Amino acid sequence: MRSLIFVAAVIIIIISCRSKADVEFDQYYNQGEILYTSYCANCHQKDGSGLALLYPPLNKSDFMDNNLEQVLCIMRSGKTTPTVVNGKTFVQPMRGVAALTDLDIAEIATYIYNTWDHKRGIITVNEVTGKMKSCE
Amino acid sequence: MRLLLTVLAIVLFSSCKQKETTLPIYGNRDFNGKDTLYHTIAPFSFVDQDSAVITNATFKDKIYVADFFFTSCRTICPKMKTQMKRVYDATANDPDVKLLSHTIDPEYDTVGLLHNYAYMLGVTSDRWHFVTGVRDSIYKIAQTSYLSTTSKDSTEPDGYIHSGAFLLIDKHQRIRGKYDGTREADVDRLLKDIETLRKEG
Repeated sequence: MRSLIFVAAVIIIIISCRSKADVEFDQYYNQGEILYTSYCANCHQKDGSGLALLYPPLNKSDFMDNNLEQVLCIMRSGKTTPTVVNGKTFVQPMRGVAALTDLDIAEIATYIYNTWDHKRGIITVNEVTGKMKSCE
Repeated sequence: MRLLLTVLAIVLFSSCKQKETTLPIYGNRDFNGKDTLYHTIAPFSFVDQDSAVITNATFKDKIYVADFFFTSCRTICPKMKTQMKRVYDATANDPDVKLLSHTIDPEYDTVGLLHNYAYMLGVTSDRWHFVTGVRDSIYKIAQTSYLSTTSKDSTEPDGYIHSGAFLLIDKHQRIRGKYDGTREADVDRLLKDIETLRKEG
């Protein structure tokens, strides 16, 4: 009985501790995972490992670390120029998914930038809308 | 009595198991009055990523796995190629096993493009042929020899509908298995079937 009360108390504390920001992060992250699975995982793989020199990895990627703005633009517009990731050059063009909204892109970005080795935190729709203006 | 039943069950069970180790032969068959004639892959001639002419003779005394794809496809092809790469890696030490990927977009997928694609995938042409050729010949062999759906369809996102099937072909050019090349579990089954087929000799 005592342990039950203890467990219940811990659960209540955890739930009440979750701030509005945490809840928002979860919403972005979970929706991002769904979108990633349908639009990105075919090539970049569910575990983000990519495939040989055809599809670059996302799970560990210096390109992602250094080029957030470009990554956001690529999701919608694609990329035809070579991309160097972790010292390897990938030349296979990637087609963008034109139908992705700023919110979709923010959710996917939040997912890929907080999974595997990445811990960047939430990337909000406002941030995305601002950055997308600089896409070529 | 119970012992007898148990023994009987074991005997029955193990005899069933033995049957399981033979793979089916797909397609229509005929009987010429003496022998059963099985469905086989029709004569073909395509060109691979190294400009080599690839025909049925390329696969003489070889088991091979065939599929249909195109390099610019984003939907099921990347999954298929991920799985076919698994087959390539798993059969690295089996000189009697080869792979054959046909492009269904031969105007776009030229020899040069297929060469780059194979290079980027990190595979060599002595074991994995990526072939291109006359569009109608590729579509015809897909449908009539490999019993695989392939057609152009402008309503599809990338312009084609095609099945993601992998076909397992034996040393007599007969279809011995059909698998969903986008599903890891189905490709596990393919890997097992390749081993079974190799034991047939």
